[in-house]
Amino acid sequence: MKPIRKIVDKVKPNFEKGGKLEKFYPAFNAFETFLFVPEHTTPSQGAHIRDAIDLKRTMILVVISMVPCLLFGMWNIGYQHYLALGISDATFMQQVGFGAIKVLPIVIVSYVTGLTVEFIFAIIRKHVINEGFLVTGMLIPLVMPVDVPLWMVSVSTIFAVIIGKEVFGGTGMNILNPALTARAFLFFAYPTKMSGNEVWINTSLKEGQQVVDGFSGATPLGNAAADLKENIPGVWESFVGFIPGSIGETSTLACLIGAAILLFTGIGSWRIMLSVFIGGYLMAIVLNLFGLNTLMQLSPVHHLVLGGFAFGAVFMATDPVTASHTNTGKYIYGFLIGLFAILIRVFNPAYPEGMMLAILFMNIMAPLIDHYVVQANINRRLKRIRIHDK
Amino acid sequence: MEHVNIFIKAVFIENMIFAYFLGMCSYLAISKTVKSAVGLGFAVIFVLGVSVPVCYLLENYLLKAGAMAWISPGLATVDLSFLSFIMFIATIASIVQLVEMVIEKFVPALYTSLGIFLPLIAVNCSILGGALFMQEREYSTIGQASVFGFGSGVGWFLAIVAIAAIREKIRYSNVPAPLRGLGITFIITGLMGIAFMSFMGVTI
Repeated sequence: MKPIRKIVDKVKPNFEKGGKLEKFYPAFNAFETFLFVPEHTTPSQGAHIRDAIDLKRTMILVVISMVPCLLFGMWNIGYQHYLALGISDATFMQQVGFGAIKVLPIVIVSYVTGLTVEFIFAIIRKHVINEGFLVTGMLIPLVMPVDVPLWMVSVSTIFAVIIGKEVFGGTGMNILNPALTARAFLFFAYPTKMSGNEVWINTSLKEGQQVVDGFSGATPLGNAAADLKENIPGVWESFVGFIPGSIGETSTLACLIGAAILLFTGIGSWRIMLSVFIGGYLMAIVLNLFGLNTLMQLSPVHHLVLGGFAFGAVFMATDPVTASHTNTGKYIYGFLIGLFAILIRVFNPAYPEGMMLAILFMNIMAPLIDHYVVQANINRRLKRIRIHDK
Repeated sequence: MEHVNIFIKAVFIENMIFAYFLGMCSYLAISKTVKSAVGLGFAVIFVLGVSVPVCYLLENYLLKAGAMAWISPGLATVDLSFLSFIMFIATIASIVQLVEMVIEKFVPALYTSLGIFLPLIAVNCSILGGALFMQEREYSTIGQASVFGFGSGVGWFLAIVAIAAIREKIRYSNVPAPLRGLGITFIITGLMGIAFMSFMGVTI
């Protein structure tokens, strides 16, 4: 590390006040603090809190917790590809390799475009670059279908970073989860590339290859919405994630590993995760009582392991910026996400994947929930004071 | 079931704000604090809930072609539908006057915080919009019309209260200077519209 430190120290004066490249200080600062522990301390007056955790470390931990999903996603892309072509002797390495070739470009495009926009905004608006995008940049590829064109990834990332985040003042100020904003943007702008049966499994054919008979390419939820009961994989299969879907969302198991990391480090809110699952479970039970169509008849556990439910519950709903901030609010917020996700799934034939939209909807409602939770608290305390006064 | 469907449609899917962008002026002006937004929201629910059924009666027993046949058979050929705009507006204006007097008498604090926007409910596009949608969609019973009016009001209420809470939350955000105030509110409204699109196509 010493030589790097030397180089950094050598170029540092150029970026500081009065230096030639003063404008680019935010960019330099981002790299320096990325490589080394920042040297700034709290001012002499004010609170002195000593804590190893800062925004950068928080974000990196979230990225680490997403790695199982990413790796599993890569393998699953390859697995589904060879399955669709009917090639049964593909080795594990071939599957992972195929997935990596498909997935890594999406990751790179998302990071490069997103960070470019961040840097431009930081330089123009003269604020420090926040690390929020490290997580967003990883979440965006994970919620994309594998066949999405790269320019769409890029456009949606730019939209999400600018309209979803930077116009509100950057990390920590946004009202909608940027990764979901990106996905919703693509979903409504280019529906053919984001839904349907074509995009979830890569079937690019080389010479002499063909797709197996009876191949459909639909996601399990798509099949359920179309009343094709026999095409819905079992609970165990969906739990581990051998199903078509967006890159990172298929495996509930990988999501739960991520959840364990988030909960162990105290970054994710267990209140939200728990209440999302409870909300979804209860709603599915209620709908089972009616049982009018295939989606209503799916067992509650099956609902929770299909599609993006677990991924959304673990990584999207717990976003500390856009979720409710109060503890009571978190229970309400999570519960309603689970409830709405299943409701949209079942009652909206156009969008069998309701999780994304449920979370976006509750992002909008979260400030209102907080407002009333805080107000209730104020009223309770006022009442207590009045009782003491008497 | 029919009524539930109309209600959900009016609240979420064909939301006055996010699907038709009606009633934007008071929506943007009064959404600075949750408290006054709730007050105006309830006023709009009330006005829509009362005016739509009243307009429904006017429409079906007075204005529509042949609507006056119940008075005497000679009037069965009369078509007064060209009068519907002026009749609806007059109805809405008088109901708003009523609401205004009630609020001034019982909630004076709210009356002052709403200011000019309370009498302006009379020209709130969502109210006349509600009456005209009722006319256009030809609801078959007064029950359906009332549910539609009430549901539209609830949808409008939900929209203004949600954005008021968001605006309270982002009050300390470092929004770029040119976008502060109305600019960012328009962007938020657009983003909220995306979130509300989740309900498009829901049928029960």
